[in-house]
Amino acid sequence: MPEQPILIIGGGPAGMEAALAIADLGYHAILVEKRHRLGGTPDEAGYAALTPDFRDAGEAMAEMAARIENNPFVNIKLNSTVAAASGSVGHFEVTIQNGAAAEKVNAGAVIIATGFQHFDPGRETQQYGYYEFDDVITLVDLEKMLKAHNVVRPSNGKPPERLCFIQCVGSRDRQIGNEYCSKVCCGIASKEAIEVRQQLPNCKVFIFYIDMRMYGYWENEIYWPAQEKYKVNFVKGIATEILQKGDRLLVRGEDTTMGRPMEVPMDIVVLSVGMEPSAGTRELAKIFGVQQNKYKFIETIGGALNTVATSVEGVFACGAATGPADLEDSISSAAAAAMKAIAAVRKSAKKAE
Amino acid sequence: MIPSEALISKAKDRQFVRDPSQAPTEDFHDILFDLEKEGEWEVQRVPEPYVEVETKYGRKKKIPLQHTWHHKSCGQCGHIPGYSTSIFWINRKLGLDYQDPTDQTSCTAWNYYASATSNAAAQAAVAMRNFAAAAETSYFPIIHCGTSFGHYKETRQQLIHSPELRRKVRDILARLGKKFVIPEEIVHYSEWVHTVRDKIAEHQVRDMSMIRATVHPACHYHKLIAEDAIYDPEIYGAQRSAIITGTLKAIGVEVADYSTWFDCCGFGFRHILVSRDFSRSFATMRKIEVMKEEANPDVTVTHDTGCVTTLDQSQFAAKAHNRNVGVPVMSDSQIAALAMGAHPYKVLQLHWHSTDNKPFLQKVGIDTDKAWNEFETAVEKLKNGQQQYLTWEDADA
Repeated sequence: MPEQPILIIGGGPAGMEAALAIADLGYHAILVEKRHRLGGTPDEAGYAALTPDFRDAGEAMAEMAARIENNPFVNIKLNSTVAAASGSVGHFEVTIQNGAAAEKVNAGAVIIATGFQHFDPGRETQQYGYYEFDDVITLVDLEKMLKAHNVVRPSNGKPPERLCFIQCVGSRDRQIGNEYCSKVCCGIASKEAIEVRQQLPNCKVFIFYIDMRMYGYWENEIYWPAQEKYKVNFVKGIATEILQKGDRLLVRGEDTTMGRPMEVPMDIVVLSVGMEPSAGTRELAKIFGVQQNKYKFIETIGGALNTVATSVEGVFACGAATGPADLEDSISSAAAAAMKAIAAVRKSAKKAE
Repeated sequence: MIPSEALISKAKDRQFVRDPSQAPTEDFHDILFDLEKEGEWEVQRVPEPYVEVETKYGRKKKIPLQHTWHHKSCGQCGHIPGYSTSIFWINRKLGLDYQDPTDQTSCTAWNYYASATSNAAAQAAVAMRNFAAAAETSYFPIIHCGTSFGHYKETRQQLIHSPELRRKVRDILARLGKKFVIPEEIVHYSEWVHTVRDKIAEHQVRDMSMIRATVHPACHYHKLIAEDAIYDPEIYGAQRSAIITGTLKAIGVEVADYSTWFDCCGFGFRHILVSRDFSRSFATMRKIEVMKEEANPDVTVTHDTGCVTTLDQSQFAAKAHNRNVGVPVMSDSQIAALAMGAHPYKVLQLHWHSTDNKPFLQKVGIDTDKAWNEFETAVEKLKNGQQQYLTWEDADA
């Protein structure tokens, strides 16, 4: 049994899974979470249902949290952040800040699971008017409405008759520097489109896309049901701007299948915002001195065969801290990070003997 | 008609927070000074007193109030001279020191953007020669032309990142006997107008509250090195550049929105040179007619040479086809000077503009016949050889 626990930063799905894996293997974990409770972005952003299985997100996060909250092998530090770090594998000394109080802890290895943040359409893509028009919302905003079973136009409180999604907002965009695909937005938009049709059967729903990226089983689980069962209209096209026209919104762009300009009136426009590294991910990369890629996600250095090792020995990263990831990826990489962290601590302890 | 104030979401949970660390490029200020420490060049500091404003991502930009060296615009001097005269007139009325140099060259960027000329070293050498000329006077450069402004910022990026380019340009400058000096900020005149807009309002003598205007932001102002353009949370919620709109609001003009505000004026560089009919059509059908239909403004206001000339001087063609045009076009400096009492012909020189602006002037309360007679009386002194040019005293007589 190593003396040094493993420090995990971030209490979202990846961090919780890493903590559980470490505890299940009989090692000690310290889990640092900046918020007042566990659950990460799915909890903080109020996700309604998980993609692709439509499971209640709150229930799933509560279940994950319950597995570790009274676990004697997991020391959870809420309302806390990492302020400083020094040392090396087997002997990290980390300062944890909780309000005005600072505490130093020792850790044999570190797992960064600080995840992503949703792209803010106010920083770029202002032509979609997210901060100008009440009825332009994001996937996250719609998720909250779906959870409350209250999908209405923010401008007048009435249910929409026409709602559309615009894909790849803040992703696959060379102009703003986010050339990567955020992986999950096509699936989430299709899932939300189905939910809108379930809650508002009279609302026509459209998805404007560059190309739909439905990985693995999502094709059958979400994409075809959205079209065939729920009659969601998928339109291959590029929306260039959103304007106000009377009391509706006008989506202007190009229908690339038909090869002609389009102007389509909508009651609600949902921007399918992609993923960017969270402020915590960017900050912790600096504190631990780990390499970041050009998008400021944490760089993993092992290629396809080791998806969690960073440029600093003994510091691992998992989930969306390393790049866009869905829940399945996050859980898998968290378990891998837990195994690698335990291995690193054991090797370090053996070397010391 | 959609007033500009309506363009802010009222949804309570939405508040855009800017994060300077999210800007797409590094903060060039740090690099400028690092290169200075390494002896690569001198950095000309923004003279005090200056005002710090915020740019698109929340970084700070210093705007000098005075002691400014005015880098003029070829197109303004050639086609719409009242544009720059208005800038100087405002400086004088506000009691601010400036210099109108005679040894400035064209930036040559128009042909560069039209893919017609030059190379990186030649372009950068022209920019640095002008900056050296400014530094020799100790006055700080302020750029009248949106194209020069945007181009100089691109040139600055190239110089920052290319030691080879710096070496080439430094050698050229040495042969010219010029210092290798770069200003701490590259400042567009409209940024200065925006910064002094409250002072302009304090000196306002004409009521502008009956005027409805549309705004055309110049592409080379807010689309080139966009992170260096001024944005203000109080104006469009920092979702569009604050320039022009801030000035118009300060002098009480009603600003109305129109759906093609983001589009080019039609100038397009290459188009105005080789496909001018396209420019004329775009300017009128995509911009002026849309404004007319959606906002019906008394005037449209912009802040660049090419934009004023293209929007204004294209309308005659559409008018010949009985299309719905007829919106006078002017710069922010001209309408600001007008609000401060400037003469419409002796200072703003609106007779150089081709779209009928008399209804606009009359709405502001100006007797256009009387004003024109005053102008003709003044130029009589030039005709009879009494004077070679009108003086500032003539302008205000």
